Amino acid sequence: MDDPANRLYKFFEEFVQKTKRGLEESGVLEIARRYFVMNSFDGSLTMLGIIVGSYISGVTNPYTIIGAGIGACLAMGISGLVGAYATERAERVRALKEIENAMLADLHDSEVAKTSRLASVFSALVDGLSPFMSAIPSLIPFYLSAVFLFPIEYAFIGSVLISLCVLFALGAFLGKIAQENLILHGLVLVGVGLVTALILMLVKFI
Amino acid sequence: MSPAIKKIVLDVLKPHQPPIYQFAMRIEELPNVNRVSISTQERDEQTETVKVVVEGSQIDYDEVEKKIVELGGSVHSVDEVTVEKGTQE
Repeated sequence: MDDPANRLYKFFEEFVQKTKRGLEESGVLEIARRYFVMNSFDGSLTMLGIIVGSYISGVTNPYTIIGAGIGACLAMGISGLVGAYATERAERVRALKEIENAMLADLHDSEVAKTSRLASVFSALVDGLSPFMSAIPSLIPFYLSAVFLFPIEYAFIGSVLISLCVLFALGAFLGKIAQENLILHGLVLVGVGLVTALILMLVKFI
Repeated sequence: MSPAIKKIVLDVLKPHQPPIYQFAMRIEELPNVNRVSISTQERDEQTETVKVVVEGSQIDYDEVEKKIVELGGSVHSVDEVTVEKGTQE
């Protein structure tokens, strides 16, 4: 007789298999990959902008940057979540209605409809979480500066380095998708980050 | 000995997703189904008409139809059926 732990494991295993199958059948993984990269890039570059902007503005309180950073992350996350869900859902409902018209059948309870709904939720989660997850690591040096009381200048340097590392990782991921040189792609995005930081620094002189 | 459905051939209209290999695998998961063959007869922008051959030791037609509907398909006709005397109970 199955014990509760075994039943729970089987339930979880079945849930993961069904979800994985649904995501594959709906074709959402390719779309989610695009959302992930685009929005992670948005999040990372936005955070770089906040850090460099705070530096040239002469901000000395790390909590100010942490607050601004978290605010921006949350706003990007909510925007991504709601925007992606609404967009994906609209597209998939339209596609489902076209299939229903072609088949002269109500597919509301079918697996086609369920995988459509799953795809919309998955896209929303990826779109919402990716800018948040790519931007948050850049705030860690400021948190450490606030807790361990080391000079904020070190936090600025650490934070920019982390942002550039995240950009490199994203570029390498793009290189892997395109089956091209990972390091070259990584360096391209790092270059974009450096140019962005430079342009922001030049704003100081305007 | 009760009769058992050993083979049914169905004319099914389905959306493109799930693809026929996944459609077949999902029907094959039903109890007492040993083999499922699917061939595409016609295809248009939104749907495809396929011939589904289900073979097994004791096929439950209602379950097969329910699974096909669950997968977004609809059974247009039952084109062929093979029934044999089942094993002695």
